[in-house]
Amino acid sequence: MIREGQPQATGCDEYNRLSRRQFMGVAGGAALAAAAAPAWLPRVSYAKDFRSGQRDIVISIYLRGAADGLSICTPFTDANYYAARPGLSLAQPDSGLDNRLLAFAAGGTVNNAPSVGGTTSFGLNPALAPLMPAYDDGNLLFIQGCGSTDPSRSHFDAQRFMEVGKPADPTISTGWLGRHLLSVAPREPDSLLRAVGISTALPRTLVGGPLTLPIPNLDTFGLSGNGATTAARSVAIGDMYGPVEDPIHAAAINTLATIDLLNTINFSGYVPAGGAVYPTTGIGTALKSSAALMKAVPDKGIEAIAIDVQGWDTHNNQGLAPGGTMYTLLSQLATAIAAFHTDMFTGVAPTFTLIVMSEFGRRLTQNGSLGTDHGHGNAMMVMGNCVHGGRVLTNAWPTLAVGKLYQGIDLDVTIDFRDILAEIAQVRLGNNNLAYLFPDFTPTFRGVTNC
Amino acid sequence: MSYADVKCRRAGPEMCAAVDAPPVPSRRQLFKTVAGLTAFWGATEAVLAAPPADVSADIDPGSLVSKLVRRITMGATQAELALATSMGYGPYLEYQLNAAAIDDTVFDQALAARNLTTLSLTQQQLYTQVQGLIVNELTEATIFRAVQSKRQLLERMVEFWSDHFNIEILKNPCVFLKTFDDKNAIRPNALGTFPALLSASAHSPAMLTYLDNQESTALAPNENYAREIMELHTLGVDGGYTQTDVYEVARCFSGWGQSRAGATQGEFFFTASRHDNGAKTVFAGTPYQLNIAPGGGINDGTQVINALANHPNTARYIARKLSAWLVREDPSQALVDAVAATYTATGGDIKAMIRTALQPNVLADAPPKYKRPFHLYVSALRALPSTITATATFRSQLDAAGHRTFFWISPDGYPDTLLYWSGLILPRWNFGASLLNNNLNGLVVDYTSFLSGLTTAQQIVDKIDQAMFGGEMSAGDKDRIRTYLLPDPPSITRQRDAIGLAIGSPSFQWY
Repeated sequence: MIREGQPQATGCDEYNRLSRRQFMGVAGGAALAAAAAPAWLPRVSYAKDFRSGQRDIVISIYLRGAADGLSICTPFTDANYYAARPGLSLAQPDSGLDNRLLAFAAGGTVNNAPSVGGTTSFGLNPALAPLMPAYDDGNLLFIQGCGSTDPSRSHFDAQRFMEVGKPADPTISTGWLGRHLLSVAPREPDSLLRAVGISTALPRTLVGGPLTLPIPNLDTFGLSGNGATTAARSVAIGDMYGPVEDPIHAAAINTLATIDLLNTINFSGYVPAGGAVYPTTGIGTALKSSAALMKAVPDKGIEAIAIDVQGWDTHNNQGLAPGGTMYTLLSQLATAIAAFHTDMFTGVAPTFTLIVMSEFGRRLTQNGSLGTDHGHGNAMMVMGNCVHGGRVLTNAWPTLAVGKLYQGIDLDVTIDFRDILAEIAQVRLGNNNLAYLFPDFTPTFRGVTNC
Repeated sequence: MSYADVKCRRAGPEMCAAVDAPPVPSRRQLFKTVAGLTAFWGATEAVLAAPPADVSADIDPGSLVSKLVRRITMGATQAELALATSMGYGPYLEYQLNAAAIDDTVFDQALAARNLTTLSLTQQQLYTQVQGLIVNELTEATIFRAVQSKRQLLERMVEFWSDHFNIEILKNPCVFLKTFDDKNAIRPNALGTFPALLSASAHSPAMLTYLDNQESTALAPNENYAREIMELHTLGVDGGYTQTDVYEVARCFSGWGQSRAGATQGEFFFTASRHDNGAKTVFAGTPYQLNIAPGGGINDGTQVINALANHPNTARYIARKLSAWLVREDPSQALVDAVAATYTATGGDIKAMIRTALQPNVLADAPPKYKRPFHLYVSALRALPSTITATATFRSQLDAAGHRTFFWISPDGYPDTLLYWSGLILPRWNFGASLLNNNLNGLVVDYTSFLSGLTTAQQIVDKIDQAMFGGEMSAGDKDRIRTYLLPDPPSITRQRDAIGLAIGSPSFQWY
């Protein structure tokens, strides 16, 4: 068991380090920031005792339906990409075309040596432009050629296998993050709510977690009915649900406690830091209320937040131009995450790691309806205080050459998604029980974290 | 902790009532052994002879026939329990299975009086309607039918198949098409045969559009429908198909879609020019290999439908899912095998499969199931003297619980597992509290008549127990609501709260 307040990674005295962006805010000078802030920026006085040395709060965003990673972080130097997608591609960054990819800033672009000859460069979908500052600050990492090695192209199997942390094992029903919570001491000993899914049902990722609830709207979580008898009814409900079995018992009792807890937080009056403006979309509202919960004083002890974003199954008219399906989804995702980045990296806030993942990538070759069918390897995004970002991370990048495709049709997986999650779990969430989180798997840490 | 509570914890709320009940001799005694069950199964015809008597007097709390009523309806009412008790287990099941023979005139007239105009429009006319109106009227009709139709098993099976062949109504342009899918594919076949239902779904423009087959072409087939018809509709994900089969089936279905304009807009249409007329091989190398000769046109898809309907893995997959819906989440292999055998023997007759799944000895051993939010809300309105004049608040209550009808996005349909639904419990409490506090516009409970003449807490909880639980409310819940009502005489506020609390009580969440 991990002891509270004892980060497992070595040399982690930068837990409260400020990012370059924070430094600019605090010091009030871009010139100062331009002097290349060291990685171990000193703490400012008011941050000294603010949750120092604690584990990250983890935010897991799941893109349901298989997001097309090749349209997120695009290997534009690979001619096979353009050959396979004559009607569904993004132009090279220097093309001058409207649908051109965004080039990663000089020094940020990673040329990835493929397994055979040449190099591959990646560009960012223009709908993700709001994420560029987070990338440039070194807080946002893209991972390409990532995913589950399980061959399933079933959404439901693939999601389940990823969320439980072990492919092809139908006997596991709890999520990897739920088991993480089960295997570490609470971040705050008196926490009443350790994890929340911003949804009407608990995402599989969190299943099994103690003091864990699905809450679709943190701001309106309360008993309705006759206000004069709310307290009495609450007691009666608690009494009735006292003797019943789990999972209903736990859900009921946690719900009653959480109603009281959330009542102490002013969600609707929450003012994000740094002038961040969250979009009024589902993901925008979810991240805004997550920030309010994370920053609440005194600390409520929240440790994990899971958010689902639906609608990525783009078999038909995938829509990469403004107004199109995927453009809109990416734009909503990016503006929300960008606002969260500004909010959490300005002033004092708890440290976090945010993960964006999806069940598998999509077919390299477009189908007959300007969409893509189910594929294999995919992209992931990770953002946080100690994420080694500003890079596109690959491993033995397989390329999109026909002979290198998985089953001859899809981008291959050369980084197991569990490598990423396991490193975060151990280094940033303080969990050394990786065999419990990811059974029968030996992860290879890929350098996702840098403190 | 009392024995009753321990038993409640172990066996669920259903067991709770019997624990403290006086040991009255009843039909319940019959069901203690399989032999007794078999005897009862054989004796049902004789029981049928008994005429329906006084409603509450003829309910037999804890009996297997009461359990059957809860299992195959949208919520037990005193009248339905009395009817079933008078008929007996087998005849009542047959009565509900033969839905078409049930005289539902009163309900049909009530539904007609709602004047839900989009329900009776032609497919082409639907394209001219405001989208929100179509969604709301179809949802409203579904709610009305669930609450008030006598064809309760039919409604439960429509709910089941609507998830099995899920279509997200908001995916453009499914909103214009789902009304016909409901009317022409799901409802007429919900108690028919699975092959006919599968074929109707495969010919449903709503399904073909939802799963993008509409856009599939010979040159670049869209695999979405081809994959899901195997993974979700027939064989199951482990049902023995490969990525090659997905591709081959997609080729077979290329050209299947809808008419795009004119008087037939939105009706099924096979576009020959989009069809891949080459030879195909499905399930190559298996005993079920299907060789399709070139030039088959629309018959390629028909052959696939037939092959899927006749595949033993389809029988097993449907048998398991149907057993889970009717009996228990984790049906025994023996039960699945029995239902699958019925599928095979009867050509996928849904009524026959239901009969097999609901053999009295099977149901006797089944633990209670957790109501999904739709079921919970409907069962509350059924159990109480309620009137529905509008359903906007009902729909928003479904939204709050994550169970808005026809809104599930992915093709697997709303789950039916305790694990999935157990986390978000607050809307279950709030529905009852809001309903009884007159906060749900259009949904009215006549609590005055419900509580008429009752002056003590004990009388009120007895009434709640009888009307809402058929006398099977858990002793713990009943006692806690009784103390909530005290002191006598209870205030009207407390009386209303008590009914709301009963809707939110642990025992009412199960069926």
